[in-house]
Amino acid sequence: MAKLEDSDTVVLGISIDSPAANAAFAKQIGVTFPLLSDMNKKVLTAYQILKPYDVKGDKFEWAQRTTIVVDKEGKIQHVEQGDSAVDPNSAVSVCTGLHKKHAS
Amino acid sequence: MKRIVTAAIGLLFLLNLAGQFPAAAQEDAIAKTTLKAGDVAPDFTLLSDKWEQVKLSDFRGKKNVILAFYVLAFTGG
Repeated sequence: MAKLEDSDTVVLGISIDSPAANAAFAKQIGVTFPLLSDMNKKVLTAYQILKPYDVKGDKFEWAQRTTIVVDKEGKIQHVEQGDSAVDPNSAVSVCTGLHKKHAS
Repeated sequence: MKRIVTAAIGLLFLLNLAGQFPAAAQEDAIAKTTLKAGDVAPDFTLLSDKWEQVKLSDFRGKKNVILAFYVLAFTGG
């Protein structure tokens, strides 16, 4: 994570867990960045990350693991979805690139 | 010479197609956000694990933000 702070970047974790569950999770894994609660799925909906599932007629919606990089102007710079989004390295390299752009 | 160039372009085109199709098929399997680089990120305010309100636009002009959407904290997935 020090790598990220160097590149002038904050990380926000977003899930549909409650703040209490997130606090417990943060403690458990020792994250230093805020974990946000999107309990009514408004952000997941706005970012179109919910994926509907239908398992033998039992319908539910699940969030797709996604990493989105937003630059200082509030514009999206990078979207990564699916299994590759578990690996933060590409998001880190985008941010390092942004940092260099701003520094020069 | 002209024929070689045409063949080369054709070959590149084929390679490009071959590269694209498996990727496209894979992407269909996951929910695909239509948001893309260059779009304005929709603003939001959410409660953090410390019960503080965090607003995306608060970081505007100050920091780049990585939004990491994760699924079910306790499953580790």
